[in-house]
Amino acid sequence: MKKLISFVFRLVKRIIKIGVLLFVVTFGIYMSNAENKLIYDVVRPLLNKHYDNQARDRRI
Amino acid sequence: MKEKIISFIDQKLQRFDPIWLAENGKGGQRTRYRDDGSGIARYREWRGVEDTFQDYTAWLKNLGYMGAMVARDPVKVLKGIWEYRWMGSFLASFAFVDRIYEGYRGRELDIANIHGNAIVRILTLRIGLILHNDARLGGGEMTDKMIGLDETIPPLFTAGFPTLNAEPMQTMPEFVVCDVDQHLDPYYIDVAESYGLAPDVCSRCSAETGVAIDDAFPVFGKLVLSTNQPCNASEATSMFQRRRFHQKGIEDYPFVFAMQHNTKNGNDYSKEELRQAIQKIEEVYDVKYDWNALFEKAKNMNHQNQIELEKWEIFATPFSPLSGINESLYKLVEWALVNGHDEYFNEIDDKVIGIMRQAVKDQYLPYKGKTRHRAFLWGPSAMYYTDFPTWAQNCWGIDIVLNMDSTMGHNMINTEDPEQALTDLAKFSEKGVMRHHAVGGWDNVNAVWEWANRLNCDMVICNDNVACKGMNGVHALLEEQAQQLGFKFVFLPHDLEDCRTIPRKEIRKAINDYMSIVLNEEPLDATLVDFDDAEAW
Amino acid sequence: MHDLKHTLFFETLLEEPFNDLVKQAVEDGDVALGYNCYYIPETLLNLPGCFSSRLRAPNCAATPIGDYYLTNRNCPYSRAILERAVEGSYNYLSALFGAEACSAMERMEEHFEQIHPVKHDPFVTTIIDAPLKSDRAALVYYMNELRDKVVAKIAELGVDTSDDALMAAIEDHNEVSAIITEIGDFRKLDNPTVTGYEFHVIQLVSEVCPHKLILPYLKETLEEIRERTPDAKPDFRARVIVAGSEIDDPEFTKLLEFCGARVVGDRYCFGAKPGREPIEIRDGESPFEAICRHYLETNLCARFMSEDKIDQRTDVLEAMVKEYKADGVIIESMKFCEFWSYEKVLASHILTQERGIPTCQIEKDYTLTGAGQLRTRFQAFVEGLEIKKLDTAGKGA
Repeated sequence: MKKLISFVFRLVKRIIKIGVLLFVVTFGIYMSNAENKLIYDVVRPLLNKHYDNQARDRRI
Repeated sequence: MKEKIISFIDQKLQRFDPIWLAENGKGGQRTRYRDDGSGIARYREWRGVEDTFQDYTAWLKNLGYMGAMVARDPVKVLKGIWEYRWMGSFLASFAFVDRIYEGYRGRELDIANIHGNAIVRILTLRIGLILHNDARLGGGEMTDKMIGLDETIPPLFTAGFPTLNAEPMQTMPEFVVCDVDQHLDPYYIDVAESYGLAPDVCSRCSAETGVAIDDAFPVFGKLVLSTNQPCNASEATSMFQRRRFHQKGIEDYPFVFAMQHNTKNGNDYSKEELRQAIQKIEEVYDVKYDWNALFEKAKNMNHQNQIELEKWEIFATPFSPLSGINESLYKLVEWALVNGHDEYFNEIDDKVIGIMRQAVKDQYLPYKGKTRHRAFLWGPSAMYYTDFPTWAQNCWGIDIVLNMDSTMGHNMINTEDPEQALTDLAKFSEKGVMRHHAVGGWDNVNAVWEWANRLNCDMVICNDNVACKGMNGVHALLEEQAQQLGFKFVFLPHDLEDCRTIPRKEIRKAINDYMSIVLNEEPLDATLVDFDDAEAW
Repeated sequence: MHDLKHTLFFETLLEEPFNDLVKQAVEDGDVALGYNCYYIPETLLNLPGCFSSRLRAPNCAATPIGDYYLTNRNCPYSRAILERAVEGSYNYLSALFGAEACSAMERMEEHFEQIHPVKHDPFVTTIIDAPLKSDRAALVYYMNELRDKVVAKIAELGVDTSDDALMAAIEDHNEVSAIITEIGDFRKLDNPTVTGYEFHVIQLVSEVCPHKLILPYLKETLEEIRERTPDAKPDFRARVIVAGSEIDDPEFTKLLEFCGARVVGDRYCFGAKPGREPIEIRDGESPFEAICRHYLETNLCARFMSEDKIDQRTDVLEAMVKEYKADGVIIESMKFCEFWSYEKVLASHILTQERGIPTCQIEKDYTLTGAGQLRTRFQAFVEGLEIKKLDTAGKGA
């Protein structure tokens, strides 16, 4: 019984830890606007380069 | 205790709140943005503990919807991003949501995020579905059971084909995504113009033509219903698009509506056209129209419209926490894309009307009571400047109470008698996006003053799409009417989907000039008066 | 070739909407009925006791009033008509029958109701909704619109609109059309005995003058052309068809012919194709239905969306090229015209790439401003056609 309580306690602790960690990371991304900076400065320029070099079947 | 802690933190962090900064002459909304015209903020808006946390959870929810879309079919989604330029533009969605709800607090923000989440949910579901079944990307189990609809055909009538799935052709590649990223459509416009299309035609249709020429429509279904909605250039671009659909082995059927949609002759004709469109789908897909299935979804639509009518009553009061782009974007998606097909939107409506009723009860003044003018926004708006109403409120205290397109078809549809349902559907369908008041005769346009009076507006802002021949044709008459009736009246020049002709900054200038020179008013937030966002999404 | 006897008179008739023949008809008590677009059947307006007057705005160099009401970003034809209306050029009209065929035209026509530019009592304006297909449902809609908004209004002006009157109008239409068609057919000759300019003038007077008054002149002109001897050596280097929107200025055709082309076919608004085909009454049809069906079937407006009508536009052009032995097609679009902006690109692509017919796309104003640029384009196109002909001849040899 003691073992079980301790397991549950550790599990809850771990969940809280992961939760807090997830919150800190995601809230950090959110507040620092990191995802938009990454998309604007890195992802989109790379994608645009790809799109500009695409061979497309252009016709009327 | 909780309130005390929150209040303490709010007080400590208020110097990061752009509204507090503007109120105290220490900055404002633009203070947190980079100076490179990118429209990328260095950090997100601090709205106080409660509102920031609320916004953060809404952001998480959107992230979840996007993650779920990718998780459902990661290969197709990645292929889609690789294949279609417009898919890349959807990556700007997070910034888009921030932009349109900037400065929102309290109940305005509550509703905004409820709506924002619903919009992201439906768009990710639909994009996922389209990519999953896109024959170009390998196809799926629904590929041959999908019907392509012109984006401006209200899809409610297709509910009578429960085994089929009707998807708008242009919404994802062009119509919605240009709200998100202003630099997408100029690419497609250039493609069309490089084939000789004149630069003075409507940029929306020009962009659609470019998508067709560039072979950038997703490929699904056996049939596409093209249409004349809303006006001339739509008719013309349909003739280009049908060629591309034919090249992909997809048949085209022009489903046209009466232009003069307020006459009995016109309604009879639209009804007949609707009947024929249904027959055409029955023939091509070898299915029978199921009226009961239609009635089920029509009930959803009626419910939506009943709530809409109640919302209009609340819009007339100063207590509505729903206005501006929050109102019009949700309405556009709910009306033009969902159109009764998804019960989830009824739940959203119920939730939102509850908040609105409570706001009236509490005599709640939105936007911290800073609204100075109540404006009706008339004419199709600049799609590359979806956050214009947000800016107008934040900068000058102009609350865009309602937008022309939000007055789309709101008649109830009979849910028992097929013949009457068809009559109602025809009426409902021909009052679609950019159409109800923009075409069909002067009286439809001139209804703006009734609307403005009904909603207790002192101002009318008329979107002046420089390429819209129909609305150009009422310029002087509208101006003369405004003078006679004593409304504050501004023309807002724009080029619908081409941000190069009249950039956002120029649009703002029209309001800045009017507010400072004509009305002699001071801005609420001086950082918003003149700034560069040419390179922003 | 010697000048045609009535060319000068016809040119005078085109200088003002309220020309001598219109004046005479109005003085005789006939009701003048204005219209702009082919969607309004001319035949319905030519009942005994009334006559049609297709609105033009000749020599309208500036349109400040039109710009004020419609903005300077709008169809120049519509602006010019509104300008002329406010100036009082159409004060002889008892009605304007408009069609919501394109937004610009519809808005311009609305102004006839809103700002009352026409000082005539009575004066009515109605605007029909014009269908985008030619199937049965579209025909029924078209008939309902024309019955309610045109025929009923004409009756209110005291004109007989009975079947007999409509039969008389069909006969009148067929008579005028037969003459114009025969004159136009002389353009099919290897060495045509009528120039494109002359034909343009003749066609235009048939649209802007009361038929009963212009008919004697047309008949006489036809007789004259039948006997006319062409120049021994043709003065043109290439034969072209002109397709496009509102082209009601014969100086445009003259400019083109000065550049070495001979306009042998006119497939544009105000042209003879469509417009001068005979109306036949089919079994079981009333005269009214026959007129409506005829105008819907022959209408080649760039706004039609159904496949049959889209194909019809280029098929007709291709057939005309063969029939009139044309070397190429000039496709015109008026500035700010949504439909022709698209149609110009599409038709040019289909004709050139899919059917092997050389085309030249041009964009022009309503009036002949920018004539220098057009001249350059035409000269280059004619030269291109000439070289192509020489090449073909060389290969043949």
